[in-house]
Amino acid sequence: MSAEPIGGLTSAEDFEAAEAADRRLLERTWKYASGLWGWFTEVDHSRIGKRYIVTALIFFALGGIEALMMRVQLARPANGFLGPDLYNQVFTTHGSTMMFLFAVPIMLGLGVYLVPLMVGTRNLAFPRLNAFSYYVYLIGGLFLYTAFFLNTGPDAGWFAYVPLSGPQFSPGKRVDVWAQMITFTEISALAVAVNLITTIFKQRAPGMSLNRIPLFVWAMLVTSFMVVFAMPAVMLSSLMLALDRLIDTHFFNPAQGGDAILWQHLFWFFGHPEVYIIFIPATGIVSAILAPFTRREVFGYMALVLSLVATGFIGFGLWVHHMFATGLPQLGASFFTAASIMIAIPAGTQIFCWIATLWGGHLRFKTPLLYVLGFIFTFVIGGLTGVMLAAVPLNLQVHDTFFVVAHLHYVLIGGAVFPLLGGLFYWFPKLTGRMLSETWGKVSFWLVFLGFNVTFFPQHILGLEGMPRRVYTYLPETGWGDLNMLSTAGAFILGLGVLVYLLNGIVSLAKGEPAGDDPWGADTLEWSVSSPPPPYNFQALPMVSGRSPRWLWHDQHPVVVGLRSDRREFLITNLLDAEPDHRQVSPGPTVWPFILSLGVGVTFILGIFTPWGLPIGAVPCAVALIAWFWPRGDQGHPLLKEKS
Amino acid sequence: MKRRPTTPVIDVSNLPTTAFGQRDPLWWGVAGVMCIEGTMFALMLASYFYLRGGAHVWPPPGVIHPGLGITTGNLALLLLSILPMHLAAQAAERQDLAKIRLWLVVSTVLFVAFLALRISIMHRLTFRWDSHAYGSLIWTTVGLHTVHVVTGIVENLLFIAVLTRGPVEDKLMDDLRLNSMYWYFVVACWALFYGVFYLDPGLLGTLR
Amino acid sequence: MSWIGFHSVLHAHGIEAVRIGRLWWLMLSVCSAVFLLVLLATGIAVTRRPQESGLPGPLPPQGRLRRNRVVAGAIGLTAVTLFVLLIASVSTGRAVASLGASNATVIKVIGHQWWWEVKYQNPRPDRIVTTANEIHIPAGRPVLIELASADIIHSFWVPSLHGKRDLIPGHDSALWIEADRPGVYRGFCAEFCGHQHAHMGLLVIADPPERYAAWYAAQLRPPPPAAPLQQRGRQIVESAPCARCHTIQGSQATGSLGPDLTHLASRRTIAAATLPNIHENLSGWILDPQTLKPGCQMPANSLSAADLQAVTAYLESLR
Repeated sequence: MSAEPIGGLTSAEDFEAAEAADRRLLERTWKYASGLWGWFTEVDHSRIGKRYIVTALIFFALGGIEALMMRVQLARPANGFLGPDLYNQVFTTHGSTMMFLFAVPIMLGLGVYLVPLMVGTRNLAFPRLNAFSYYVYLIGGLFLYTAFFLNTGPDAGWFAYVPLSGPQFSPGKRVDVWAQMITFTEISALAVAVNLITTIFKQRAPGMSLNRIPLFVWAMLVTSFMVVFAMPAVMLSSLMLALDRLIDTHFFNPAQGGDAILWQHLFWFFGHPEVYIIFIPATGIVSAILAPFTRREVFGYMALVLSLVATGFIGFGLWVHHMFATGLPQLGASFFTAASIMIAIPAGTQIFCWIATLWGGHLRFKTPLLYVLGFIFTFVIGGLTGVMLAAVPLNLQVHDTFFVVAHLHYVLIGGAVFPLLGGLFYWFPKLTGRMLSETWGKVSFWLVFLGFNVTFFPQHILGLEGMPRRVYTYLPETGWGDLNMLSTAGAFILGLGVLVYLLNGIVSLAKGEPAGDDPWGADTLEWSVSSPPPPYNFQALPMVSGRSPRWLWHDQHPVVVGLRSDRREFLITNLLDAEPDHRQVSPGPTVWPFILSLGVGVTFILGIFTPWGLPIGAVPCAVALIAWFWPRGDQGHPLLKEKS
Repeated sequence: MKRRPTTPVIDVSNLPTTAFGQRDPLWWGVAGVMCIEGTMFALMLASYFYLRGGAHVWPPPGVIHPGLGITTGNLALLLLSILPMHLAAQAAERQDLAKIRLWLVVSTVLFVAFLALRISIMHRLTFRWDSHAYGSLIWTTVGLHTVHVVTGIVENLLFIAVLTRGPVEDKLMDDLRLNSMYWYFVVACWALFYGVFYLDPGLLGTLR
Repeated sequence: MSWIGFHSVLHAHGIEAVRIGRLWWLMLSVCSAVFLLVLLATGIAVTRRPQESGLPGPLPPQGRLRRNRVVAGAIGLTAVTLFVLLIASVSTGRAVASLGASNATVIKVIGHQWWWEVKYQNPRPDRIVTTANEIHIPAGRPVLIELASADIIHSFWVPSLHGKRDLIPGHDSALWIEADRPGVYRGFCAEFCGHQHAHMGLLVIADPPERYAAWYAAQLRPPPPAAPLQQRGRQIVESAPCARCHTIQGSQATGSLGPDLTHLASRRTIAAATLPNIHENLSGWILDPQTLKPGCQMPANSLSAADLQAVTAYLESLR
């Protein structure tokens, strides 16, 4: 809006002319960076969010191919498709890819895309940091796969237990690749988390008090907090591992006062919250989908928010249940059993609230809702096997077997990927302006759902029959062959379903029906702007007067005026009630975040080979940071003069 | 296509364009970084106590304390640097560029003195990072903290340069306050590590 | 059941495994019931015709109130169910941990990449028995397994007898087991330990006490005197690289990197319970272990056909 409030204009023509002029001004101010150079300078959240999603989906496909390779190897006993050396690289890369390069980035990327639109602001709080996060993530992923194709893929498992991953038992650079890839993706996730927290706290549309924040945004907020407190643990442990390997420190060397279990504590202090970092955004997606497809506000807003927060807290108290077999004192183990079982209460509360929402709703059985129903089915199974795993005696039997493989895939695919596929289907029109094919969407759902269950359900039984996880083959006499063959067949059905889903996306991108602003009749703010949204998101920032703002708007909706359109201005609101507080100017396109990410890349990749990597890499990093922060006085900030 | 008409309800054109403290999004960014690094340092301490709990002798034989005098003096330098950083932040609130520059220079001198003394302390240690896990913990923690001190020095020099060369935007004043806030955090972390590393009962025991 | 033995959590033959099995069936039935209830509720929810208005928005107040009660009740029920499961879990845990006996057989098991060293502890050094990948225990008696690792983390798991326990360098631990009847029970390494994690098996053979005692006595006796062919085999073993890693009592082979072979012929399997201990497997293994267990520590040996025959004959004489 121009500085002149529109309220001052009287005639309709004046109004429309002023609005059109204002739109042109906004378009000029917020213009996307264009061309190849623009790819390296873009700071817009929707562009970067899309990159996150596309990149993560590519890694998803790669991780999926690795999964199929493993399933082919395990289809028959004593199979020779993959030898142990390659198999170990493949399963480690599969796990690391799915956790660090797919699940976390795509959830955070979805947040990067949607949060500003959902809270009603023009961009994330720190646009350049956002660009930096993406490049660091991309470098981490490319680094892992470059190494993988050079036969230097990590091979010590995605939790890289020492001493196996230590200097003595994993010579060469494979584990270093893993450790540095972790560092890249953690830096990226941490930066996004801080960005999202700040945006959610300080940039909500006026009226969006804490108790009106959309559930998806709440989920991203809780997730971001978990990232902030969980990821430092793995950064620290991977730093220690890298130092043990590079300069002979002894953090994990029992011969010199170190301890192998210290790694497990640090890793799982991160690793368990990690599961919730992936799962909680998915619950946000479920809530976001349920509202428009039941035409009801999601039942139990307060209960759901409290469940999310409770999950966030309890999620930090469970890590030891990954370590029961290390032999803990009885009392300590019971405490972690209790905590692990307790987390089923907030999880159950969420499921009950969603069922209650379905109960009163006018359901539309479109693909997104099918994925949500598939989610309820599979996630409940995964949650219940989780309760079983929390029981120490049972855990000692099925820990590190295919039972756990089944459980974790029920939780992560059923609990997170199903909602994600539903969510991407739901938001595809917003991202691209086109609808996906509903028919192919349903085909993909049924293939994915059936394929998934055929793949992973038999693995529960395999685990109970004694099949340890991470074996590259097994003896014919074990009798595990039939179920493994079934599981492999299921994996191919699942793979076909994902392929149909992705092809549907690619075809619809070109040929899909135009979507319009709001094809689903949804309640949240992102549907009030064009599809795809303009670079400034909202011509006039909306005001919010309830939890489902768009369902409360009738002929007219209230907006904010007075933000300048001739520079990139944000409205900053206060934390609790989202009352307007002040305006800030947001930076435009710049290449320095990209340069900084290259500097960080040099530091860590060189750091694999020499401790001098740090001082050498510090130089480009420092240059990029100085250039990044050096004020140019061209963003419209008032300048200060020396007092005489 | 006819757009849905909108009703202007709030006019924000009179609102200010800067704000200090929690009102400013950047404050939350810095607070977030402090949470991240604070967690990392806390886990470092947790690791210290974990390894200590599993050790028969702690610290390992052959570890000789560099002396409480020099290490305490080192900490005192760091604590002292809070004062000029605080004065710089106050001057920033008043937009008094000359005073800011003065206090930044004073604090930078203190940072550098601290770093010089730290290097001399580390030279006196009887063990290295590859001697044993205790050495790994001490050297890595000191290393991580030193990276922060060096960053602090570079940041201060950068601020001095901007204040001298310009252009000085009004939001720089808030950046300066946040710079001070972050420095307090760096000092507090070291105070904690000092307490653990140099006053740890096990170590005092070996002194007697 | 073939040579590889029982290896299922659900075919429990150990006192602890039976108790854990009971907990499993309890949990399975409770969880199945919960799952069916959730499925039923979801099914009704998605098929039922809504009575409330079709306008988008929150539920009307009366619908909300009823649902509040139902949801709150379900949460309460969840908490109660979980509490019951918690009690069951903790009490099973206590019961499982209560096994033990004084003057029980103590067996030290040391994990190596990728085999198990087994040492029967005894105060008298001449009564210590060292073997590999095969543990004989008296059925119906508690046995203490002391666990340690020579290199990295492994995990000792015999599903039919008990849950698993990790072998962690620097953290020696112990585990009581008791087989309730004679039988062959297969064990696995359950913690990923590198290339041949998949082929790091072992057999636990529970015998009636008298048979166990006979086996033990046989293990204490030196191998029988050798015929000429076997003597030649011994000389080859002593001069070839074999002796650097393996120990055979009564010979000059005293290496300690690989399994003790003193009574190799009495064992049912070779290569960490990967192959039945029969002539073809044994000679194939001696020639080319890398094909059978790629990455394992034992190198290929180029022996002439005659030498191979002699070595195999010698090893087969080690009863």
